[in-house]
Amino acid sequence: MLRWKYSRPLLVLFVSLLALAPLLGSNPLSQPGFQQTMAVAFIWGGLALTYDLLFGFTGLLSFGHALYFATGVYVTCILINHEVVVWWLAALISIAVSAILALLVGAASLRTTGITFAMVTLAFGEAGHVILQRNFFNLTGGENGIALNADLIPEFWISVANTKFIYWAALAALIFTYVVIWWVTESSAGRVFAALRDNELRVQVLGLNTQRFKLLSFVISAALAALLGAVMLIAAGSAAPRFADAGVTISLLLMVVLGGAVTRWGAVIGGIFYSVATTRMQDLTQQDAFKTIPKWIGGPIAEPAFVLGLLFIFVVMFAPGGLSGAYYRLRLRAITKKSQ
Amino acid sequence: MDTFILIGITGIGLGALYFLIASGLSLIYGLMGVLNFAHGSFLTVGAFVGFWIASKTGFETSMPEFILAMIVGGLAAGLFALLIEQLLITRLYDRHIDQALVTVGVALVVGAVLGGWFGNDLRMFPAPMWFLTAIDIGGAKIPADRVVYIATAVLLLVGNWALLKFTRIGLIIRAGVENRNMVNALGINVRRAFSTVFFLGGFAAGVGGVLVSVYSNGVSPLIAGTYLIYGFIVVVIGGMGSVPGSFLAAMMIGVIRQFANYYATGLGDFVVVILLAVVLLIRPQGLLGKVRA
Repeated sequence: MLRWKYSRPLLVLFVSLLALAPLLGSNPLSQPGFQQTMAVAFIWGGLALTYDLLFGFTGLLSFGHALYFATGVYVTCILINHEVVVWWLAALISIAVSAILALLVGAASLRTTGITFAMVTLAFGEAGHVILQRNFFNLTGGENGIALNADLIPEFWISVANTKFIYWAALAALIFTYVVIWWVTESSAGRVFAALRDNELRVQVLGLNTQRFKLLSFVISAALAALLGAVMLIAAGSAAPRFADAGVTISLLLMVVLGGAVTRWGAVIGGIFYSVATTRMQDLTQQDAFKTIPKWIGGPIAEPAFVLGLLFIFVVMFAPGGLSGAYYRLRLRAITKKSQ
Repeated sequence: MDTFILIGITGIGLGALYFLIASGLSLIYGLMGVLNFAHGSFLTVGAFVGFWIASKTGFETSMPEFILAMIVGGLAAGLFALLIEQLLITRLYDRHIDQALVTVGVALVVGAVLGGWFGNDLRMFPAPMWFLTAIDIGGAKIPADRVVYIATAVLLLVGNWALLKFTRIGLIIRAGVENRNMVNALGINVRRAFSTVFFLGGFAAGVGGVLVSVYSNGVSPLIAGTYLIYGFIVVVIGGMGSVPGSFLAAMMIGVIRQFANYYATGLGDFVVVILLAVVLLIRPQGLLGKVRA
């Protein structure tokens, strides 16, 4: 098989190390600053994975995925701030709201396929973005968003010294997302998703309700995105319209394509890499050495979108399958060589 | 009554801007099946080149100078579109999803380059002074620039129609939208038609870019954002590949959005999306779109 026999034990070891790192003496992960960076990166990794379920596994190119992430952020924040329910119940309710929203939007937009579906989901996503910016009933705080009321959540979610709890929460959310998507894609429904991607007509001929399976994939990925949104709320401390921007979905697409679709770990690595790269590149361009580069070339490089965009075009044109695709090609070559 | 006319004509003016971007999107999609996310960057490139021409003349431009800026902006955007098509799109022949992904990359890179060079702040666009005067139509004072938008859109619609109807390349494009494989099988080079459509789409978007920067009081790498999304909505509602459909849908959306914004503050965007959902439920192929076999 293409899987290396040590990959699973090594993965378990590596993840346990990540989980324990904040407790072990002095290392980068014992510093709150880096814990925060990694917590955000884990959330993006998880989000990229939920997008992979749609785009990679089911073949649905959605441009409105940010809507469900933002639903998780906003609904949780509103429920906590207005003291409707306790924080963890707020998160659970936001997941349910997101799933119902996805059910409605999905039912309408899945009447179209392919590229039209992409446009339609984009329109719905942008509508959500606009609504959040409008501050209806004084709920969403308009363009500034809303700050999470720190008095209404337990103490271990706040203060810099407690960043490790946010780190663990993000890691746990990522692992949970990974396990659910692993389970879904390996289940018989997951086989149908893949079949829908490869040849929808054949699935129809087999007598399966294709709409219902697509909708299932759409709703599962939306619910998981809302869960990650709730964690993001705690990590960011506020809900802002930028979480609903179409740019979020486009970043997710970049993460999945760079990391490689349909391999699960590819999307996660892509998301973590993308998130860390964008934050680190901003630090890099603040340095004096960078300012000596002439502005006509330094200006664009200072924008993370420039390098990542070029990398993205390169991967799409010349290296389909991204990072994980390249890995499996190498594995395949090694295995065939051995067997000869 | 005059408020009614004012909102109506402003809506049509806004619709004209949507049409300029949607016409290219619709033809490119209809002929090649490419969802062009880079179309917004064609608009921005046109806007910046137009801005460069217009600002050569100081804080104010005369009408001929403005028209020159529009044409040069359009040409620059058209050539840029052609470059993207030749360099990237043609190499991904018939890989529709990858083509869409590449255009996403182009949009990111162009946005980053322009942002890095010029910053993301709005720069005042030196428009002709008479754009600010009001024209009296049925008792309503209509800002003159709205009329320019509408005239440009109508001119482009007519030009488009004439090109598609009376020229050989237009015939090939129409046949290609109908059935590309058949045109290919008849030994006609469809690639040329692809390039033409990309150039024309880029041109319309570039002209639109100059007008959009007048409408939004300046140029910045970010001005294309909402117009691209509205362009997509217009294309879906009007029907993929149908330029008259795009025109109809653009006008409809512009007007509905303005009225909704006036009578129910800020609900315009929301109403447009509801309209989109309704059209999809009743007529998934769009108003003037044909059902694809």
